[in-house]
Amino acid sequence: MRNRFSLARLRHYGVFVIFCSSLSAQSIIFSNPLSPRIANYDIDVRLDADKRLLHGNETLKWFNKSGDVITELQFHLYLNAFRNNRSTFMKESRGAHRGNRIDKEGWGFVEVNRIKLGSGEELTEKMEFIHPDDDNAEDKTVFRLPLLKSLLPNDMIVVHIDFTAKLPQPPFARTGAKDEFFFVGQWFPKIGVYIDGEWNCHQFHSNAEFFADYGVYNVRMTVPERNTVGATGLLVERKKNTDGTVTHFYHAEDVHDFAWTTSPEFVEFTGKTQDVDIRVLMQPDHADQGPRHLEAAKTAVEYFQNWYGDYPFPNLTVVDPRRGAFDAGGMEYPTLITAGTFYGMPAGLRFVENAIIHEFGHNFWYHLLASNEFEESWMDEGINTYTEMQIMNDKYGPIGDMIDFLGIRINTGQLQRLRYLFGADLDPTVRPAWGYYSGNSYGVNSYSKPGMLLTTLYNYLGKETMGKLVRAYVARWRFKHPKTRDFINVANEVAGQDLNWFFDQALFSNAVLDYSVERVSTREIKKDEGYDFTLSVAQPNSAMTNRKSAERDDGDSIKSKQKMYENTVSIRRLGAFKFPVEIVTTFGNGEKVRESWDGKELWKKFRYVKPVKLVSATVDPDNKIPLDVNFTNNSKAIEASTLGINKLSARWLFWMQFLLDQPEFTNLFSAIISII
Amino acid sequence: MILNSLKSGLSQIRARKRFVMVFYLANLFFGLLMMWPLRGIMKGFIGNSTMGEKLGGALDMDFLLEFFKQNSQVVSAFSALMLIVPLANWLFTLFLSGGAFAVFAGNEKYSPAFFWGNAVKYFGRFCRLVLWSLPVFAILFCLQFIETGLLRLIFGADPYQNITYWEGWIKVGLRAISFLLCGMILDYARIHAVLTDERKMLISLIHGIKFSFGHFLQTFGLALLILIVGAIALTIYNPIADSLAAPNALVVFVLFILQQVYMIFRMTIRLTSYASQLELYRQLATAPATITSTGEQLMEDFVPAT
Repeated sequence: MRNRFSLARLRHYGVFVIFCSSLSAQSIIFSNPLSPRIANYDIDVRLDADKRLLHGNETLKWFNKSGDVITELQFHLYLNAFRNNRSTFMKESRGAHRGNRIDKEGWGFVEVNRIKLGSGEELTEKMEFIHPDDDNAEDKTVFRLPLLKSLLPNDMIVVHIDFTAKLPQPPFARTGAKDEFFFVGQWFPKIGVYIDGEWNCHQFHSNAEFFADYGVYNVRMTVPERNTVGATGLLVERKKNTDGTVTHFYHAEDVHDFAWTTSPEFVEFTGKTQDVDIRVLMQPDHADQGPRHLEAAKTAVEYFQNWYGDYPFPNLTVVDPRRGAFDAGGMEYPTLITAGTFYGMPAGLRFVENAIIHEFGHNFWYHLLASNEFEESWMDEGINTYTEMQIMNDKYGPIGDMIDFLGIRINTGQLQRLRYLFGADLDPTVRPAWGYYSGNSYGVNSYSKPGMLLTTLYNYLGKETMGKLVRAYVARWRFKHPKTRDFINVANEVAGQDLNWFFDQALFSNAVLDYSVERVSTREIKKDEGYDFTLSVAQPNSAMTNRKSAERDDGDSIKSKQKMYENTVSIRRLGAFKFPVEIVTTFGNGEKVRESWDGKELWKKFRYVKPVKLVSATVDPDNKIPLDVNFTNNSKAIEASTLGINKLSARWLFWMQFLLDQPEFTNLFSAIISII
Repeated sequence: MILNSLKSGLSQIRARKRFVMVFYLANLFFGLLMMWPLRGIMKGFIGNSTMGEKLGGALDMDFLLEFFKQNSQVVSAFSALMLIVPLANWLFTLFLSGGAFAVFAGNEKYSPAFFWGNAVKYFGRFCRLVLWSLPVFAILFCLQFIETGLLRLIFGADPYQNITYWEGWIKVGLRAISFLLCGMILDYARIHAVLTDERKMLISLIHGIKFSFGHFLQTFGLALLILIVGAIALTIYNPIADSLAAPNALVVFVLFILQQVYMIFRMTIRLTSYASQLELYRQLATAPATITSTGEQLMEDFVPAT
């Protein structure tokens, strides 16, 4: 049973919340804290919409729940990634993110105006920018704050920060402004995570996402009166000010980040499923897709709760970014996600559904289980890709779950596999996000390869065991900071077997999995002849029809009466990844022989002496190993069939003929376009 | 008048079935040029894999994506083919059109000598005609951008997506119309050149423009009607072709035959379009005032040069 308050009840207690907001870690939504509530924030922020500026005051109450004496604090200033083109983010990304660029005048920043402790000590002058991941002295996304007085275990420190932030335009790398639409993420000075005896506070990288501690957030956002606001957590109060603004007070518990959005143009849709209130904020030109977004959000909530565990939060907000602000789309924050669509999006292109299922999935893999996305991005993006593939396939059918349009049917898993093929061996899966060979390798190893390896594991362990595994992982590590090894330990335990051999290869090496049927052959076995069979040593020149030969015939009478064939199948392991495989060999009479091979050696041969010829052999006949980088070499037939080639050629030929048979100028136009 | 022209065009084609085959074989040849390299690469890639048989059924998207990934040369090879083959095909159909118009103009039966002779005769002129007409076609093509400008004027630089979406469709429509108009003008200019044996292609082009727009309802109506017939045929063809999905050699063969029958039908439409337009021209361009070339003759006296 859930131990949470309803939205109405929360509003009823609004006055109480305001009263006790100075006690940040108070439980209002949940009767008992769900998380350690280490980093708790009270923030007042005023939006200057014309200048894209945020004027903020933040009070952080941070608990030292480590056993160490803390002598300094470290903070993220993520928005400084967009301060200039010298930041680590901009250098790594070369100024582009998902194909978007900041306008010439669109740079953003966050400036700490003043820092002082609750005890009254001024520390502004003590701030020092650090760059723990590289030697980029011009990067200002992390600063350290030496403390005048050490913080003892279990002590709390109160830090007041006065800051000004400017949002990039258009939204870039998830955050920013486009005219009157604002999506505000990674916007406030945010403390790092003290873990394993040190601060884990990485710079903002082009490929990396985030890592933070849980806490309680009380955030008051003052925006123009006509604006609608959506934010992490629950709306407690909406207070009208005398200067034409309204202050929206949101409260969130057991979350590790806070993002918000505001626009005067949002069209709101609401719904509810399984005790979760869903709010969809659509752009006016996408309003017709509001029900579609709502339905997708319901699907996501239902599947995740039914399959993977309880989503303990009472609400979810889905934000549709404004046109021209697409880089704010497809992002996750606690209880708040962004999707992304365009007007006229056909129902068969399920990008909306996919985005919402994926982003809501992060509310499990990044939010409920706060893994370190800087260092082990696969634990969020990868597991999420796997669950997204499972849900899409179950909900929208086995063929064409992602694209089912104009006769083209493509699954999410197929698109992920394609991406995987483009970088299967570039890096081990687990690496710091900025340490991959390339952005493509980050994408492959954070999303696609984990998706493939977990699907391979699903097929290996079976649906039931894999379901238990994921549920056990969620149950055990919710509101904690799981690491890769923790996932593996849960897997070993639930599966009841040591799976390290699998994870060592799949996560900690760049080994490629590729099994192939190298050779199939069939040949008729000749009748025994020569000495001891048709010739006698005693009488070398005479045919032997002696007793010995007759005995052999008796012992092998069937063989002697019908033709026998020696059929061989040679399987090779072409990659370094070792994985048990099944092989099905098909014979001329339709008989199928299924064999298992542990796949450890470089090759394996199977020999069958049968009265029928071998027709074909297939390794992994049920397509259970999507990690295999080449499906085509998984089978071989004695005789090549050109049926499929003929069919594809016929189709190809037809479309070429059709293309060429356009009116003369269309052809000329095609040629000119090709030249251009 | 449009239907009469169409009827007449159809009867002309019925009388010259071999003629259709010339166009069809040319189309098939260039299609094969585009298809064959891909087939070769695919055959090499599949080898003896049972994928060769599996693909006889529904398209395996895993295979297709894997194929393109592991044969990236296919994309570059296809890009090169996309440049060369359509251009060659365009030149060749332009070449064939000379013979076709001459045959229709002279009400001749299909004879190779007459057909190919006229194809050769008019090829140079038609090439010049195309060069002359490029600015006209550029203007027509740019009509769609007027709509973009209008949109900016009305809705500003940042219109809602529902505006830009429908604007996109209108633009597609305008582009299609501009192609249709281009085709019409080129056809009537060629008809003029053949009927009058005009050598100055600028004159034929001007005549083509004047005729196309001077009898816009009829010329455009005929072109649109033929376009619609083609579209309807494609709509009928597609589900039938899609239903032929069984992994069976006979089914694949039937699919191939169906495809080629459809292409022959398209060739018939194209030639019907030529013949019908010529017929329409004959019906409408009877007044000598509409003919401006100094070298032209009255059409009724015209006998195409051989």
